[in-house]
Amino acid sequence: MQAPVELRPATATARPRRRKPVKWRDVASYTVLTIAAILVLMPLLWMFSQALQPIGEGFRLPPSWLPTRWNWDNFLKPFQAREGQYSVPFALFFGNSLKIASLTTIGQLITCSMAGYAFARLRFPGREIIFMTLLAALMVPGQVTIIPIYLMMADLGLVNTHESLILPGLVNIFGVFLMRQFFKQVPQELFDAARVDGAGQFRCFLQIALPLVGPGLATLAIITFNASWNGFFAALIFLTDDNLMTLPQGIALLTGRMSGGDPSVVMAAVVWAILPVLFVFIVAQRWIIEALTRSGLKG
Amino acid sequence: MPALTPERREAIAGYLFILPTLIGFVIFIAYPLVESLRISFYDFNIWGDMTYIGTEHFERLSTDTRLHQTYRNTVVFTLFAVFLNAGIGLLLAVFLNRRMPTLMSNFYRSVFFFPILVAHTYISVIWEYLYSEDTGVFNFYLGQLGLEAVPWLRDPGWAMAAIIIMDVWKNAGFAMLVFLAGLQSISNEYYEAAQLDGASERQLFFRITIPLLSPTIFFILVIFFIGAFQVFDSIFVLTGGGPGDATRSVVMYIFQQAFQRLDFGYAAAVSWTLFLVIMAVTLVQFWGGRRWVHYE
Repeated sequence: MQAPVELRPATATARPRRRKPVKWRDVASYTVLTIAAILVLMPLLWMFSQALQPIGEGFRLPPSWLPTRWNWDNFLKPFQAREGQYSVPFALFFGNSLKIASLTTIGQLITCSMAGYAFARLRFPGREIIFMTLLAALMVPGQVTIIPIYLMMADLGLVNTHESLILPGLVNIFGVFLMRQFFKQVPQELFDAARVDGAGQFRCFLQIALPLVGPGLATLAIITFNASWNGFFAALIFLTDDNLMTLPQGIALLTGRMSGGDPSVVMAAVVWAILPVLFVFIVAQRWIIEALTRSGLKG
Repeated sequence: MPALTPERREAIAGYLFILPTLIGFVIFIAYPLVESLRISFYDFNIWGDMTYIGTEHFERLSTDTRLHQTYRNTVVFTLFAVFLNAGIGLLLAVFLNRRMPTLMSNFYRSVFFFPILVAHTYISVIWEYLYSEDTGVFNFYLGQLGLEAVPWLRDPGWAMAAIIIMDVWKNAGFAMLVFLAGLQSISNEYYEAAQLDGASERQLFFRITIPLLSPTIFFILVIFFIGAFQVFDSIFVLTGGGPGDATRSVVMYIFQQAFQRLDFGYAAAVSWTLFLVIMAVTLVQFWGGRRWVHYE
């Protein structure tokens, strides 16, 4: 990741006899980057300062980009269920999303690491054909399969349950592919040594291979958790009961009910929903960037 | 019991290890894919009873003007989103790839990266306020500049523009990251050699950077095409497909037909057209990519 710093200087130093590189190019690039950064930050800053505005003042124009008043109480408002049509079970949304994202992530770590290990390290008839078939399935858009899955869930009585979201989430072909790449990098000698000591296939996987692919597991966990935490389409289809809804679904569908759609309360709710993402971003930014650029997966 | 040979043990272990994924693949991908084609030939009544109706749904595809409208919308959105995201992403990456203090480049990178992680849903909720016609931030500043208020979400053309602008705001950073990684993998030797020959910066960019970056450009175009063609969340929240059908995407139309009108058979037929279009364009892009993509 540090390479760029060494890459650039050549322009400036390779040919000292030439005119000094024109300064305005630096000025231009800083200007463009700074304007772009401000444009990206403004909606987020607006969200945050709006969340701190006093309730009932609605929109203040000119907008304040930086918070001027600090009504931290606003952040409790989404949780305070009110009677009647204004009640939104925000705490439940939070819990539901946490439950679905956690179980999906744990499940995928198990299924993807097992399959990735088999495709990378074990020999069995049909391995390549099965793997290519799975890869081809990456081209199938989720909207094609969702209707039969819905009808299937309806037959099983699973519509309006969290299982309807978690079960299909347990298979992730991309995750299998990712884990396979990581398992391929484990040196064969380690397995040979373990086999000599009489370790079985399962012990090789559990005690030798798994501990060595920690970064792969972490990458998969972050991508899966974030995708599940942000997922909207499937939740919209399967969950109709207010108390079962996920966070994105609840916020998108019920903004009008949050204190009558008061922008300060809605923005406070959005800040809450983004908080875990922000946390992961701060802790593991470089890592995610590398994983995302390598895998070509976006949120 | 006869002892198994090590090879057989290994094969059995292999099948057992892939079993969970394989079961999931069959239940949640392979079977639904075939099943959605099958139910395209059936009509569902509101109680869920199925009647075989032959190719009626497929004939309806060619006469359904709402479907054609949603396809036009999706194509317009996709073209703008793909080229603006890729273009702006490339521009930012080229600027960011210049020599600058690490602190600065990290700052810019973090800022452009963050929106990728935030759900479309939340971003749409935020931007819906920003786009508000009377009390919105954008119109306030336009007013300050002496311009008329823009009916962002009320006018068909502006509504589509609003969705595209928001999409670029969120996703250009992803293109930038991938382009930056691509730029950094180009060996500096090429630039040094070209500079010795007296190449201008413009020539360096068009004769070295672009050709050597072509695999990355190609990758970005494919990824963004597939993503944009399935656009749903942002439009659903921001405009709900309106005004009228002006911003309704194909996926939103499928959603409406299936889960609001319970016309599962027709929705499945439409979803297969989406599948075929995505597959066809992806294959064409791969085929075309072979002609102009330069792999080192």
